[in-house]
Amino acid sequence: MGATDVADTTTPSVVCSGLDIVYTVFGAKQKGTDTGGQVPLVERLLTKRNPVSSVRKVHAVKDVSFVVNHGEAVGIIGRNGSGKSTLLRAVAGLMPPTNGRVWASGRPSLLGVNAVLLTGLTGAKNVMIGGLALGLTPRQVRERYDDIVDFSGIGDFVNLPMSAYSSGMGARLRFAISTAAAPDILMIDEALATGDAEFQARSRDRIAEIRRDASTVFLVSHSNAAIRESCDRVLWMEQGRLVMDGPTDEVVRAYEQSHRRAPA
Amino acid sequence: MTIGSGSVVESVEAPEARTERARLTPEEAAALARRAGLEELGVRPGLLGYAREVWSYRHLVWHLSSAQAWATNQNNYLGQLWAVLNPLLLVGSYYLIFGLLLKTRGGTSNYIAFLTIGIFVFGYSASAIIAGSRAVVGQIGLVRALRFPRAVLPISVTLTQFLVNVPAFAVLMVMIPLTGEPFSPHWLLFPVALVFQSLINLGLAFYLARVVNTARDSANLVPVGVRLARYVSGVFFSIPHYAGYGLVSALLLYQPLAVSMTTAREALMDQYPLTWGSWVAAAAWGVALSVTGIVFFWRGEGRYGSN
Repeated sequence: MGATDVADTTTPSVVCSGLDIVYTVFGAKQKGTDTGGQVPLVERLLTKRNPVSSVRKVHAVKDVSFVVNHGEAVGIIGRNGSGKSTLLRAVAGLMPPTNGRVWASGRPSLLGVNAVLLTGLTGAKNVMIGGLALGLTPRQVRERYDDIVDFSGIGDFVNLPMSAYSSGMGARLRFAISTAAAPDILMIDEALATGDAEFQARSRDRIAEIRRDASTVFLVSHSNAAIRESCDRVLWMEQGRLVMDGPTDEVVRAYEQSHRRAPA
Repeated sequence: MTIGSGSVVESVEAPEARTERARLTPEEAAALARRAGLEELGVRPGLLGYAREVWSYRHLVWHLSSAQAWATNQNNYLGQLWAVLNPLLLVGSYYLIFGLLLKTRGGTSNYIAFLTIGIFVFGYSASAIIAGSRAVVGQIGLVRALRFPRAVLPISVTLTQFLVNVPAFAVLMVMIPLTGEPFSPHWLLFPVALVFQSLINLGLAFYLARVVNTARDSANLVPVGVRLARYVSGVFFSIPHYAGYGLVSALLLYQPLAVSMTTAREALMDQYPLTWGSWVAAAAWGVALSVTGIVFFWRGEGRYGSN
């Protein structure tokens, strides 16, 4: 095969083909939008849109396909609700595809907006549980424990329940845990936005380090500056569809121009 | 497809690897993933592979359970003391109502021991069933952030409830001789009864966790069911004494929750000699529920936390 003499960085680490995701939301009933007034009660109860339940289907990702290679850093941009986070969760194996297929190498590690794993437990217990869930052995977690706590910079707070943490502290600890396991694929969903400037600089360095180990990084962010700094390729999502996939400068520029043309 | 087409694809492929923008067909994507040795996501592994995967996460189960059990009583001043105080207060109030006011002590020679065993043993099942039904939906933060076989959750919730109840079982072992029960080697069977009971609880947790994840509303029925079971399972009255020895009585006696209490009483109380029937029933329920339970739970793998 011609592929064997290609360098390691051009072998794919994620292949996504025709991905569709439809999920159910509970408690989504909108008040006041019900046109029930004109429709007889019996008919309303018999129609498909059940007025009692508050369950809705959301088609969050529509027919998305892409291939990402080892060592690539891919930014995902788009407006709120364009399906960025859902796409990331599917590629992390946390959400089953409704249609289409996703393949990935190794164990992906997703760093979401809700950084806290188990609120009632101390940071130290969260380090252990998070590390074990990422596939480390208890011994490996203990060996890396000091590094994780040092990197997070939360100090003595590590022995307090995470419910006492600020959102920034939670995000720092989660970032430290997620990157300690040297994941093949690291996905960061807005998780760095809550950290201070110093931590953001340190996490950028850590991301660069992870990329040097031929891991793939996905970054969802509303900060185009952060995307420009860390990513060399960008996926632009719009209403669940992938509208553009290309080099960072090109895609971010097109995205910014679309704002000016049609302010949301 | 002719043999020649292979070489055409090959020649197109080399520049494509650089651009990647050209859209792959599903077949090409599958072939590319296979060549790169990638693993498909969202696909349920075989049952044996699944069991092996769960086993590889045993350290996670243990750390998750022990940390959660310890955290259960952490957010108040008396802390872990509540693990002992709670069941004692419960025994006191049940004794007041059923022992002194309603007098449901018929057919028992040592009602305090009978009642204490009933409350502590049933209490373990009750808390394990309620927590087990929420094993997936209650830990959605973990489910959404990390990929691991979800069977870890019902297992760890059941283990958590066992650990939370260990102080209560210790209190029970202190109380039994105080109520006048003579020491007996049969007491050594009490841990065996707890093992069978834990398997029953685990099986129920597997079933309920998946049902509640699929149909949220059913979570509201679980506490109702547990309350009903509390009143029909012979926690504070002797089933044969009040229901006789007919079919209804047998059904009440040999359902899993009642059987757990019967085996515990046979192990600890002089009045109840060991009977094969109850121990075989407890073991059979435990194995049947936990084995069919994990199969049922495994069939839903890949859909947990998707809403």
